[in-house]
Amino acid sequence: MRAGLLTLCLMCAAAPAIAHRVILSVFASGDQIEGELGFSNGTIAAGTLVEVFDPEGAKLGEAITDAEGFFVYEPRQPITHVFRANLGQGHVAEVTMPVVDLPRHLASDGAILAPSPAGAMAESTIQRPVTSPDLEDLIASIVHDEVRLLRREVAAYREKNDLQSILGGIGYIVGLFGVGFYLAARRKLKDLGQ
Amino acid sequence: MHIVDGALSNQVVIAGAVAAIAGVGYGLRALPLEKIPAAGVLAASFFVASLIYVPIGPSSVHLILNGLAGVILGWAAFPALFVGLVLQSVFFGFGGLTVLGINTFNIAMPAVLAGLLVRPFLARATPRTAAILGGFAGGLAIALTTLFVALSLALSGDAFIPAAKLVLISHVPVIVIEAVLTGSAVYLAKQVMPELFTSFKQAPI
Repeated sequence: MRAGLLTLCLMCAAAPAIAHRVILSVFASGDQIEGELGFSNGTIAAGTLVEVFDPEGAKLGEAITDAEGFFVYEPRQPITHVFRANLGQGHVAEVTMPVVDLPRHLASDGAILAPSPAGAMAESTIQRPVTSPDLEDLIASIVHDEVRLLRREVAAYREKNDLQSILGGIGYIVGLFGVGFYLAARRKLKDLGQ
Repeated sequence: MHIVDGALSNQVVIAGAVAAIAGVGYGLRALPLEKIPAAGVLAASFFVASLIYVPIGPSSVHLILNGLAGVILGWAAFPALFVGLVLQSVFFGFGGLTVLGINTFNIAMPAVLAGLLVRPFLARATPRTAAILGGFAGGLAIALTTLFVALSLALSGDAFIPAAKLVLISHVPVIVIEAVLTGSAVYLAKQVMPELFTSFKQAPI
């Protein structure tokens, strides 16, 4: 029942929040680029279109976020990718993924990691631990799940407005208006003196 | 309410910056020495108000509190709110530095308009009437701000009517809360510090 209500709430979350920061983060996951889209207050942007451009602005493709605000995009070219999402009401997010952050097979431009015969020979001589593709996939998916949790926490931490920044801001305001008051008072005194 | 970097077309951003510079310049000239501390306090309240969220369904909006600045400062609300916006964008990441101008205009101009509308009546009003006038100005400032935001989005390509409706409807609770808040603040100020609403130039030194 509660879970149902929660899902319902999440479905309704399509109406975007006002004046929160839009968070768009992308990271390589296997052969694909996975991304997360949401608002800094935790609202999830479900079913939103994320467009992908190259650095010159030509469109490469697009992806749609799922109910949890995640999307997956399969990159095909080893170039810088620019992800852009518009959630309406002035909420636009853009994030750039440089070539080095792309999935491995593209990041290295397909040259270093491609199994060249010579490389395979060298590897076999130093007795690399036996890894099957299945095992690699399994490890990748476990690591990926763990990292996803961490990413969420890091994102939440970055959005935290602690007392320090509030007090800092108020301090700046007091200082600025103090300087303004000083300048205005000095001018006034000068006027009175003449 | 804060439009972020990259959401608006260049023309709108530049026009907003020009309007904001003009407003801040004029506001600074309209800020008498005696009101500088009040401007600082209002800038600080505006700065902090944005952290107070009003939950609406699964989403939430935050307070803005620009009407109060307009009622007390008049044109001088421009520099006060500008300072608040600069610090909000630096500390909290609300809005952005390139859209600072248009955001300042969208938030300060409605405040000034609402302030100009009620200020002539405030000086001689009883505290109760003043509270009603203040509440009206507080609500009006938010309503106009939503309109300005929708308009700047429309000028950048969004469809105006749906955008305006969406922003306005989601801000109805904020309008109500800010009207009550501004009304009570004006009521209190009228009781303990009535000189806030009179022009200092006429007051005996």
